[in-house]
Amino acid sequence: MTKILHTADWQIGRSYGSFDPDDAVALAEARFAAVERLATLATGEGVDAVVVAGDVFDAQTVSARSIRRLFNALQSYTGPWVMISGNHDAALAESVWSHAARLGALPANVHLALAPKVIELPEQRIALLCAPLTQRHTYGDLTEWFDSAETPIGWLRVGIAHGAVQGLLPEDIDSANPIAPDRAQRARLDYLALGDWHGTKRIDDRTWYSGTPEPDRFRSNDSGNALLVQIDQPGGTPTARPMRTALHRWQQLTHGIDVASDLDALLDLLSKVEANDVLDLTVTGQIDLVDNARLEAALGVAEGRVRCLRIDLSALQLAPTAADIASLHADGYLGEVITELRDARDQDARRAQDALAILTGMLSERNARGTTT
Amino acid sequence: MRLHRIRVAELRQFRDPFELSDIEAGLSIFSGANEAGKSTLVRAIRAAFFERHRSTSVEDLRPYGNSAASPLVELDFELAGETYRLTKSFLQKKRCELIVGTRRLEGIEAEDCMAELLGFQFALKGASRAEHWGIPGLLWIEQGAAHVVHDVVKHAADHLRRALDESLGEVAASGGDEVVMQVRSLREELLTGTGKPRAAYLKAIEVASTLEQKVATLQQSVASYRSQVDTLETLREAHAVDDKEQPWVALRARQEDARQALKAVAALTSDRDREREKLRQVAGLRELLAQRLSTHEEQQQSLALREAALIEANSAHERAISAERPLGLNSSDATERLRVARATLALARQEHSRATSIQQLGDAESRVTELTSLLQRAVSESERGMALKREAAQLRVEPADLEALRQQSGRLNELRIRQSTVATRLSFDLLPDAPVDFDGVRVDGQGERLLITPTTLSIHGVGQLHIAPGGSDLDELAQEHAELQDQHTALLQRLGLAAMDDVAARALAHARGLAEASAAEKAVKVLAPKGLDVLRSELDGAQARQADATAALAQLPAPPTESALPFSDAERTHDNCRVAAEAASVELQAAQSALATATSQRDAARQEHDALKASLGDPRLQAELAAKRLELIEAVNREAAIKSTLADIEAGINKARPDILEQDVERLKRSADAAERDQHARDRQIAQLEAALVAVGAQGLEEELAQRQSEVAQAQRRLAELRRRTEALDFLLQKLELRRQALTRRLQAPLQKHLDRYLQLLFPSGSLQVEEDLVPGALTRPGLRGPEASGFDTLSFGAREQMGVISRLAYADLLKEAGRPTLIILDDVLVYSDPSRLSQMKRVLFDAAQRHQVLLFTCHPESWRDMGVPLRALQSVC
Repeated sequence: MTKILHTADWQIGRSYGSFDPDDAVALAEARFAAVERLATLATGEGVDAVVVAGDVFDAQTVSARSIRRLFNALQSYTGPWVMISGNHDAALAESVWSHAARLGALPANVHLALAPKVIELPEQRIALLCAPLTQRHTYGDLTEWFDSAETPIGWLRVGIAHGAVQGLLPEDIDSANPIAPDRAQRARLDYLALGDWHGTKRIDDRTWYSGTPEPDRFRSNDSGNALLVQIDQPGGTPTARPMRTALHRWQQLTHGIDVASDLDALLDLLSKVEANDVLDLTVTGQIDLVDNARLEAALGVAEGRVRCLRIDLSALQLAPTAADIASLHADGYLGEVITELRDARDQDARRAQDALAILTGMLSERNARGTTT
Repeated sequence: MRLHRIRVAELRQFRDPFELSDIEAGLSIFSGANEAGKSTLVRAIRAAFFERHRSTSVEDLRPYGNSAASPLVELDFELAGETYRLTKSFLQKKRCELIVGTRRLEGIEAEDCMAELLGFQFALKGASRAEHWGIPGLLWIEQGAAHVVHDVVKHAADHLRRALDESLGEVAASGGDEVVMQVRSLREELLTGTGKPRAAYLKAIEVASTLEQKVATLQQSVASYRSQVDTLETLREAHAVDDKEQPWVALRARQEDARQALKAVAALTSDRDREREKLRQVAGLRELLAQRLSTHEEQQQSLALREAALIEANSAHERAISAERPLGLNSSDATERLRVARATLALARQEHSRATSIQQLGDAESRVTELTSLLQRAVSESERGMALKREAAQLRVEPADLEALRQQSGRLNELRIRQSTVATRLSFDLLPDAPVDFDGVRVDGQGERLLITPTTLSIHGVGQLHIAPGGSDLDELAQEHAELQDQHTALLQRLGLAAMDDVAARALAHARGLAEASAAEKAVKVLAPKGLDVLRSELDGAQARQADATAALAQLPAPPTESALPFSDAERTHDNCRVAAEAASVELQAAQSALATATSQRDAARQEHDALKASLGDPRLQAELAAKRLELIEAVNREAAIKSTLADIEAGINKARPDILEQDVERLKRSADAAERDQHARDRQIAQLEAALVAVGAQGLEEELAQRQSEVAQAQRRLAELRRRTEALDFLLQKLELRRQALTRRLQAPLQKHLDRYLQLLFPSGSLQVEEDLVPGALTRPGLRGPEASGFDTLSFGAREQMGVISRLAYADLLKEAGRPTLIILDDVLVYSDPSRLSQMKRVLFDAAQRHQVLLFTCHPESWRDMGVPLRALQSVC
């Protein structure tokens, strides 16, 4: 029985610009940690090889430090790592791989396929047919040659490729590189390890996307896993078990507040956030001042608890009630202004909302200080 | 508010307590002379309210000279239904007491209460100033301050607004101004006065833009890196292709083929060249043979020519001989004639020269004679002249000597005369036998003697008489005379003169001698103008010529017997003969040389002819010629054969097109070289590119780019936030200010109303504009051409006073409506108003006094008798 750990799309070197700098650093760090976890997992499960199906790096000109860190992270699994180049880290004339080679960062147990070839692991009796990407844009099926490739008899025949399985996946996938949906069958592969799609996905019994080991975007596509693939003997049907390797839980939520109970639900949700959450929250609807204060407080608390909290309150309308206005001691023309801002519509709506927030903030602060007149 | 009673003590001129009581509600008029204390009372009221009892700036309240005074003011008044008594004393005794109904307030508490009630504040330090006086400052007009409205209103504005705000409750906003200020200051944190970004906002813009630029730069670098990678890819592919195919190998092979073909052609070419050589040789041989044979032919022909030439030469020779002969005779004749002519000429020349010589001799002789005589005469004259000169020189007497002689002579004469006068004259007449001796010297006859010296007369038979002339001088004279006489005589002797008289003669002779000498010299000059020596040499020359002529003549041979021809004729003849002889000689020479030429030609022709004939007759020659004819035929044949071979070869070469083959070789060589060069160049390019990419790759560009893009996103988010905030603040401020302005306008409305009501009493169709800060502005009155507006400051002093009073009354009405206390104090106002305006103002005042308590102080009681209230006179209290 042979065990292989299948992973892909590590995207080392990516920056998370849409987050606060501190959060972005943490998210980038998490990717290295994920690789370390993969290595630990591989050792713990005693796999025969780790297969990385492309996009190890997010860009060609990754810093030398990142390159070294990445390869250092492989340390705790001393077995063979078989990697191919994906579309982000394609094996061009000059690439991150040639940089890594110059740095001497490639450990001996890393088998790198930068050209279509068969990598043989005699100890493990596995032959890996590798279809790395060698151009910036590829439009042909690089796995075609698998069909006629020879591998030693009695060995496992595993394919590694990076691209979009034709016809089965949505169009918005990274590379144009098509892969025939029945490649595993046509090429008589025991298993075809795919990369490029960041979520764990089964194509057929023998063809899987492992997805990225650490989520890197909000799309709910079941990322954050590696696949532990077991094949009893050459020709046997493989079993692929998703193993959770993610540290962070990325969630994108929209919550509408129209009635009071909606706010309660939201507050309840906010109270349940955890330290490893990466949360993108959009709140819509209407809210009065009192509830707004509650919401802000809850958000403040939640922000302190989670890894990252991104809030979009632009669609949440501040609608002070008469009671609010009275409690602010906003009499005379101040009160009138508040009402006017509250009722503003169309192109003034957003400015009015912001102005309202400022004004009500000032007034409540003034009241809190106890000054009148 | 209604003031009932004022009491002052120890206050300025009121050293003793003074009281004004039972003050009416409405209008009260207090009149008093100057210095009666009107303004002091006003000051007292003001001090009671405005100055803190502890104030140290109230020295002016002190009565003059009283340092221990403690000015006191006491006021009874009614306000909002309550009765107040305010008692305040300053300086020496500081006290303040306020009794409100039953309550009693002291000190600062009391003072602050009054401030609150009336709407003013206290100075924190020093004396109370206009800015503290608030509403009372507005309503209590000081002397000469009626026209000042603007500042006073400003100081009262807050109090006014507060007072009015409360009355217009639901429209105003509590703390509205404060909120507006806060919003404004928040806005000013981010925007400048002109609405440009500043501080944090500006910084955010700059940061965002800087980062965007950095990102752009990095993107460019990344793009260029990528394109370089692509280039490298392309180069490597091309390189690999060429490495595999090695196109230059094929090219070189083709080049070699071409070269081989070319070599073959070269071989053909050398064959051709050989054949050509052979052809040349054979042709040469043929030509030679042909030439030899034709030469022979020519020679045959030339023999005939030679014969003809020989005949010709002979005849020429004959001709030359015959030509020469007569010329020879001619020449010898001419020579003979010439000889004769020469002899004749010589003779003629001889005779000619003889004649010439004779003539010359004659000339020379005569010349010699002439010159000799001239010379003789000249010499003699010269000698004579010289002799004369010498004689004359001898005769010369030095002028000095001459002068001396004259003087001596003169002196001698003088002396003699004196002597004679002094001397004794002795005249005698002796008998013939009676001799007498004068100093031994016998004298007889008659005579006279001058005795200047003692003389002895011896008379015979008598004895001797010694006569000593008298006179002492006589000796001296005699002495002198003797000396002088000696000198004179010596000089005469030296000069060779016998006596004085001779001097003249000598001089004359000298002069004459000189004259004659010079005459002689002149004569010499005439004779020999150039001098004697020249004359002598001329003479010598002439003599020489004479000698020459003589000699020449002597040399000539004897004259001929026959007469010779004239020289010129002989010469001419001789010349003609000479010319003729020469010509003849020349002709002869020409003929002789022609003859010689003809002879030699004839000889040569003969020789040639004979030689040629001999050689041509040689039998060996014939044999040789025959052989050569055969050879020629052979040669012609061989030539033809070679020619055809040659033609074949040429055809072969042309077919091969060697020129094209050469081009091929060159072309293929170049292509192969180029291909190889390209490959090497590509090698180098690849190496360079690889090195460059390594360097750039080490920069981690894309990672940095990603990071910068995060930073940009962050910066842009912040910028967007600030922008939103700024817009919101702007919007908010706008809204707030709009409403506030509306409020202000609403406050302005009633004020406008009150003002206009008073104004109508002065100007029936006029209106006074109220500015935003509640200050009166432009006054609009009906003019000649419709309503005219005048700014407040352009009104006359009197008019401004009137406007000032009216404004304050309007404020008072407004305050009254708001339920605030209004006490109006007018200290000597409207003094600049003309009677008609004044009467109108009185109507205004009267109207106002219906609603407010007005205290009017004046020193012109006569102006105010028609107000319907009694005047209260303030007696002078000084």
